[in-house]
Amino acid sequence: MLKMKDVCKIYRTDTVETHALRGFSLAVEDGEFVSVTGPSGSGKTTFLNIAGLLEELTSGVYELDGRDISALNDKERSRVRNEKIGFIFQSFNLIPELNVFDNVDVPLRYRGFDAKERERRIMSCLERVGLASRPKHFPAQLSGGQQQRVAIARALAGEPRFLLADEPTGNLDTHMADSVLDLLKEINEAGTTIIMVTHELTLADRANRNLFVRDGEIHDEPPELHLAAAATA
Amino acid sequence: MDIGPIWRAMLRNKAGFVLIALQVAVTLTIVVNAFGIIQERAGRIARDSGVDEANTFAFASVLFTDYEREQRKVLIDEDLDLIRNVPGVVNAVASNSFPLRQGGWSMGVALEPGNQTPESVGTAIYFVDEHGAETFDVTVIDGKNFTPEQVTWSLEDDNTWPAYGIITEALGKEMWPDDAGSYVGKTMYINDNDPVNIVGVIDTLQAPWESWTGVERSMLVPQRRPSEFVRYIVRAEPGMRDKLMPEIEAMLAASNKDRIIRDMTTMDDVRKLAYVGDTALIKILGFIVVLLTLITALGIVGLASFNVSRRTRQIGIRRALGATRPSIVRYFLIENSIVSAIGLVVGSALAIGLNIVMVEAFSLEPLAWYVIPAGVIALWAVGQIAVAEPARRASNISPAIATRSS
Ligand SMILES: Nc1ncnc2c1ncn2[C@@H]1O[C@H](COP(=O)(O)OP(=O)(O)OP(=O)(O)O)[C@@H](O)[C@H]1O
Ligand SMILES: [Mg+2]
Repeated sequence: MLKMKDVCKIYRTDTVETHALRGFSLAVEDGEFVSVTGPSGSGKTTFLNIAGLLEELTSGVYELDGRDISALNDKERSRVRNEKIGFIFQSFNLIPELNVFDNVDVPLRYRGFDAKERERRIMSCLERVGLASRPKHFPAQLSGGQQQRVAIARALAGEPRFLLADEPTGNLDTHMADSVLDLLKEINEAGTTIIMVTHELTLADRANRNLFVRDGEIHDEPPELHLAAAATA
Repeated sequence: MDIGPIWRAMLRNKAGFVLIALQVAVTLTIVVNAFGIIQERAGRIARDSGVDEANTFAFASVLFTDYEREQRKVLIDEDLDLIRNVPGVVNAVASNSFPLRQGGWSMGVALEPGNQTPESVGTAIYFVDEHGAETFDVTVIDGKNFTPEQVTWSLEDDNTWPAYGIITEALGKEMWPDDAGSYVGKTMYINDNDPVNIVGVIDTLQAPWESWTGVERSMLVPQRRPSEFVRYIVRAEPGMRDKLMPEIEAMLAASNKDRIIRDMTTMDDVRKLAYVGDTALIKILGFIVVLLTLITALGIVGLASFNVSRRTRQIGIRRALGATRPSIVRYFLIENSIVSAIGLVVGSALAIGLNIVMVEAFSLEPLAWYVIPAGVIALWAVGQIAVAEPARRASNISPAIATRSS
């Protein structure tokens, strides 16, 4: 369970203060598949970064599985990221020097699993995303869709409770995007809570719940209303 | 523990690492061999001359008026009497030379009388009276110092060698290798046929030539030589040397106007002059060692910094995937250890090779067993220290990089 109450995030640069999130409150139950949409610059990535412990919040309360995140130090935050959260990024973010196998291995090594356990998990995750035949390929030798599948395998390898995806299909064509979404649905059905930021309303539609972010504020609304909102903006 | 993927990632970006490994190898090769030479030279400099160097000085008295032999004897006796009575003087002696002076008298000594054979052993000769031992600060470890009766003036037209001698232990060992510790009472022959009875053995008194392989072999000979040129060696009480030098110079200059006092010098300066080449070599090699190490360290800093910038994104991703700050630092330390290990293994082989060549070519001592291991550890540590700051910067990269830049 993921719970935010009055979360604010302010970015300060020399000249400007950006209120990226203002009084952000929401609760995501275990097993939900939540899509997040909203105009560019509205704060979607900021929300995801805070939810994923990649950034610290300025004020408010964020509880993950009942635990107050702001009390954690850097080491504990790293551990929560490693154990509870899987990330999927728009630009895949595979490590170019490492082959598919070693890429999926990265979070497992930080977890401290032994070699046998790591290999078992890597191969079963690659199996799950349909890339078990290419463990020795390097990211540059794979298509965008395949790279994103490796990234999903990497996110799943640690068996996280939450999967956070920022525009996971943004760099993929429709066909590939659909298949990635099928995969996410499947993962969600297996029990993982997913929060996915997307521009594509058709994809957002496939989530159980739709959140709409505008000017750093969150609205629990179906995506059809966004169209109207975007049109009038 | 993470060596596998770090190593595989390095293979995808070899060039920089190969260069650094090479640099480490060359640095180790040169550094340990330079260190070997430094060590050898420093060892030579560190040898004990036997003299109480800090408190001893020497000078010459040169007559420029014709003196009869007897007059010269009187002058030397007067001079020594004056010097020995100056408060603060421990003792003084007139001798032909002293350790580290680079000039002196050497003779061959043999077990049997007769023409000098190839088996005769070279030794430095110091002509002294019974005050020689104390002035040179040598300990008579066996037998006795000369008695005043044993000390004689050299005779005109008579080259017969005095019948007594005090030898260093090193000379005794060279002459009678099987009779360690019992040289007193033995006889050896000098000047072809003149017997020398060993009356005493002293611990250490170097010959005047520091670069001679027999530098530890010398002999005190109880003879005084009344020449126009007399060399005085004065041993002062601790702290008195610098006060006594001008004082004694002025005193002797005033006591007799037919001679000049010159070549006033401390043993410290004599030592400096004797080892000026060795000291310079040590400094140059030391400078090279430091410079090469520094250049290598900078190379490592440079490559690591470059890699941190190049991998900014990947580091953020690793952080997002659960890497702690220390594990990012560890990544760079391990990576550097791998490069260093390769460089140091290659460097050790090169260092041994170069040492073999140098031992052959310049008849140097081979490197002590610990020099290469010590160099390996030192250069590894330098690498780790060099990489620490870029690694620390890497560990501060925000995990948000993973979502922010594309
Ligand atoms: N590191 C930062 N420093 C300063 N301002 C920032 C920083 N990151 C984000 N912002 C600002 O915060 C606001 C929210 O940004 P955010 O990336 O969350 O938007 P987004 O909804 O993800 O947009 P997009 O759909 O374009 O990805 C923007 O105005 C952005 O300029
Ligand atoms: Mg965004």
